[in-house]
Amino acid sequence: MSPAKTARVSVYAAKKGVKSSTDTNDELEEWRRGKQLLKPKSQLDLSDAELKETIGKQLSTLNPQLPDSIVEFNYAAGGFISLPLPGNTVVVYELQGTSMHKDSEEARDQMVELGIDPSTFEESSESSLDTEPKAEAIEVKPEEEGEEATEAKEEEPEDEQAKPDKADEEPEAEGDGEGEVEVKVEPAKPPQKGGRPRKLTNQFNFCERAALTFNNPTRSQETQTVPPPMATFSANVLQWVIYDAYQKDFEAQQLEKELERERKERDKAPVSRHQASKKGQGRAQLSEAVQGRVLDCWKVLERMINQNTYDDIAKDYRYWDDPSDEFRDEEGTLLPLWKFTYDRTKKNTITDLEWNPYYYDLFQVCFGFFEFLKPTAEGAVCMFTLKNPSFPDYICMTESGVMCVDTHPRYPYMVVIGLYDGNVEVFNVQATCKTSAYKSNSVTNKHKGIVWEVKWAPDLPDGELNFYSVSTDGNINNWVLMQNELAVTTILTLFFAKESVPGPDGTHLKPKSCASCIKLHPKKPLIYLVGTEEGQIFKCSTAYSSMCLFTYNAHLLPIARIDFNKYNTDIFISCSSDWRIKIWEDNRLEPLFVFDLGDRVGDVKWAPYSSTVFAAVTSEGKVYVFDLNVNKYKPICIQAVVSRRRNRLTRLSFNPKLPIIIVGDDKGCVTTLKLSPNLRIPCKAPKKQQYLDQWTLQCMKLDKLLSLVREPVTLTFPQDLAGTDVS
Amino acid sequence: MSNEVEETMKRIQSHKGVVGTIVVNSEGIPIKTTLDNTTTVQYAGLISSLADKARSVVRDLDPSNDLTFLRIRSKKHEIMVAPDKEFILIVVQNPTD
Repeated sequence: MSPAKTARVSVYAAKKGVKSSTDTNDELEEWRRGKQLLKPKSQLDLSDAELKETIGKQLSTLNPQLPDSIVEFNYAAGGFISLPLPGNTVVVYELQGTSMHKDSEEARDQMVELGIDPSTFEESSESSLDTEPKAEAIEVKPEEEGEEATEAKEEEPEDEQAKPDKADEEPEAEGDGEGEVEVKVEPAKPPQKGGRPRKLTNQFNFCERAALTFNNPTRSQETQTVPPPMATFSANVLQWVIYDAYQKDFEAQQLEKELERERKERDKAPVSRHQASKKGQGRAQLSEAVQGRVLDCWKVLERMINQNTYDDIAKDYRYWDDPSDEFRDEEGTLLPLWKFTYDRTKKNTITDLEWNPYYYDLFQVCFGFFEFLKPTAEGAVCMFTLKNPSFPDYICMTESGVMCVDTHPRYPYMVVIGLYDGNVEVFNVQATCKTSAYKSNSVTNKHKGIVWEVKWAPDLPDGELNFYSVSTDGNINNWVLMQNELAVTTILTLFFAKESVPGPDGTHLKPKSCASCIKLHPKKPLIYLVGTEEGQIFKCSTAYSSMCLFTYNAHLLPIARIDFNKYNTDIFISCSSDWRIKIWEDNRLEPLFVFDLGDRVGDVKWAPYSSTVFAAVTSEGKVYVFDLNVNKYKPICIQAVVSRRRNRLTRLSFNPKLPIIIVGDDKGCVTTLKLSPNLRIPCKAPKKQQYLDQWTLQCMKLDKLLSLVREPVTLTFPQDLAGTDVS
Repeated sequence: MSNEVEETMKRIQSHKGVVGTIVVNSEGIPIKTTLDNTTTVQYAGLISSLADKARSVVRDLDPSNDLTFLRIRSKKHEIMVAPDKEFILIVVQNPTD
C-alpha cells in the first residue's frame, strides 16, 4: 500500500513541480494563494526536496502477476503434478472460417454435389497445388503482391464474362493468391455437364451491378380555379350594439314561446282563416307605424322651427315682467305674446276657448259665429299648443259652426262640442280628428236650437262618460256615451216664469225659456246653475226635473257666462250683454258686486291663482282685470287688445298654471297675454300666521272682503224686552 | 296618414327662415328634398354619419337610452335633425331671417 501511495504523491508532486516551474499561469497562482489546502490527516509531510525527487518507473513485457508454479492434484499419481506455464498470449477474438481445404472429405462431398468429378478436379488442380508453396512464399511480401491481387480482382469479372472458356486456364496462371476464389469460379463452367446451375454464394463472390435508367423529363402544368367570391366587411362593435343584440335575442325567445303557446292552442281549437290576412296587415301596420313616426318627427321639427322663429316672444313669456309695475300701485298691464290663427277658420268667430285640463300648454278653440244673419258654412274645433303657434295640433272640422267645447278632465283627449244646428258631437282626438266618435242623431235626437254650452259631468257609477248640454230650445239634456250611441235624457225644460199664454184654439201654451249657459257646481255633483237669454239664473238639481231650487233675476239681457269662484264655491260671477258683471252669493237674491263695463261683456272668469281676481272681455276689444282686494270699484287693468273698429273680443280663459290668459276675437284669432306682476300678487301671510298656506290665505282674503259687503238678507228689529216686562 | 305627412312637410317648407328640408331613407339616400342636388347629397351624407355618431355616444353612455333629436346651431343656420332607424329628417333654418 504505502509504495502505491508514495507513487501517487510523487506524481502529484511532479505535476506540481511542473506547474510551479513553468510559472505561466499567474492567475491560478493568485487564486491558490488565498486557499488553504485540505489534507487528509494520514498524509505524509514531505519536505520540498523529497517532493522534488524523481522516482523512475520501468515498463516490461513480463507479467509480474503470472502464476509461476501451478500444480494439480492427480488422484492417479496420488500427488501434485506441476502444470506447464501458461503462455503470454491472450486470445482476444476468435472466428471460425467457412472455407475448407479442397483435399478434405467435406470439399470432396461438395464437389460431388456440384457435379464435379473430384478426380478430374484434383488433376487439374495439381498444378495449382504445386504453386501453393510459391504463394506462401510470396505472402512474405504482401505489399508487392497485394497490388497485383487487387488488379487481378478488378479484371476478373470482365474476364469471366468475356471469355468463360478461358476461365479454367486463367486461374491457373494468375490465381496464385486466390486458391479459394477458384473454387467458387469453377461452378460457372459446369452447365454443359447438365448439373444444376446453382451458384453458391459466399462473401468472396459478391458483385454489385448498377444500372441507370433514363430520367423522365419533368414537366409542370398549372391551372387556376375560379377564386371564391370575396367581400370586405367592416363594422364597429360598441357596447350598445351588444346590448341590442341581446335584446333582440331575448325578444326572439319571447316570440318563440308565444308561437309555441299559440300552436298548442291552435291544435286544440279549430283552424281559423285569419292567419293569411294577418301577415299582410302586419306589413301595412308597420309602414303605417313608420308613417306615424315620420309625422311625429315632422311635428317636433315644426315646433323647433317655431321656437327659433318666435324666440323673442318665448323669452318675453319666460322672463319679461313689466318693470314699471313697481312704480304703479294697484295697476298692471298685459303683454301680448303669440297669436294663433288657422287659415280655414279666419272668417269664423271664436265662440269658446278652454285650456286643456291635463296639458298646460294645450287649449281648445271653437270656431263658429255670433252674427246669425251671416252664418258661415263650416266650423271647427282646433287644439293649439303654445309650442306651435303657426298651426293647430288637432283640427276637427264640422259642417256647422261650433258654439262650445269641453274637455274631459280625466280623459284629456275626449272633447265634446255643441253645434249651431243643435247637434252635439264627441271627438276622440287621440284616435282620429276626421270623424267624431259620437254624434247626436240630427233628425230625432238633438237640440232644436243652438247648443250654447256643453259640460262633462262626473262619471256615472258604471264608469260611463256623460255630459250636459243647454240650448235655446230650453232643454237641458244629459247625454251618456253608450257603446255605440249617445243616450239622451232631458233633465229639465225651462219655462218662462209668466203665466201660460192662451193658444189660438183655446189651449194654453207655456212659453219656453232659452238657456244660454250652464255651470256645474264644482263640489256638489247634483247642483248646477243655468243662465237664460232672459237674464235669469236658475239654481237647479239633477234630482228634480220639474222645479228650480232658486232663481236669480240677474240681468236684463242674455247671460253669456257663469263661473264659480275657485276658492269659495258659494260665490259665483255672471256677465251679460247688458254691459254688467255681477258677483253673487249662494241663496242671496241681491248681487254682492256689480260692475258696468260700458259694452257687451262676452266672457268673465275667475282667476285660478287668486280668490279676488277675475277678468272679462268686452265687444269693444278690451280686457278688464279686477282685483277686489285691491280695488272694489274699478278694474286694475283695462287694455285694448284688438282694434276697436274692426274686432270684437268674444271669449277669455285663464291658464291654470301659467300667468297667461288667452282671448278670442270674432276674426278667428286667439291672442295670448301675459299678466304683469301687479295682476297676480300672491297673498302675504300675516306675521302671526306664517304657517298658513296660500289656499287658506286666499279663502281668508275673500271672506274678509265679503264680510264687508254682505248685508243681512232682511233686517229684523230687536225684540223689545223692556215692554214685555212691564206688561 | 301619408297625406298628412306631405302637408306637414309642405307647411314646414313655407315657414319663415326655412332654407330646405330633406328626407333621407334608411340607406342614407335622400328621397325627398327641397334643396339642389349637390347640397342635398352633401347634407344627407354628412348628417347621417353625424347622427350615427351621436346615437353611438348616447347609446354607449346608457344602452337603454336613445337619441331622439339633434339640433346643430351654426353661425349661419340651425340644422334640425330627427334621426330614426328607418329615416332621417333634416330641416335647415336661418333663424335670424
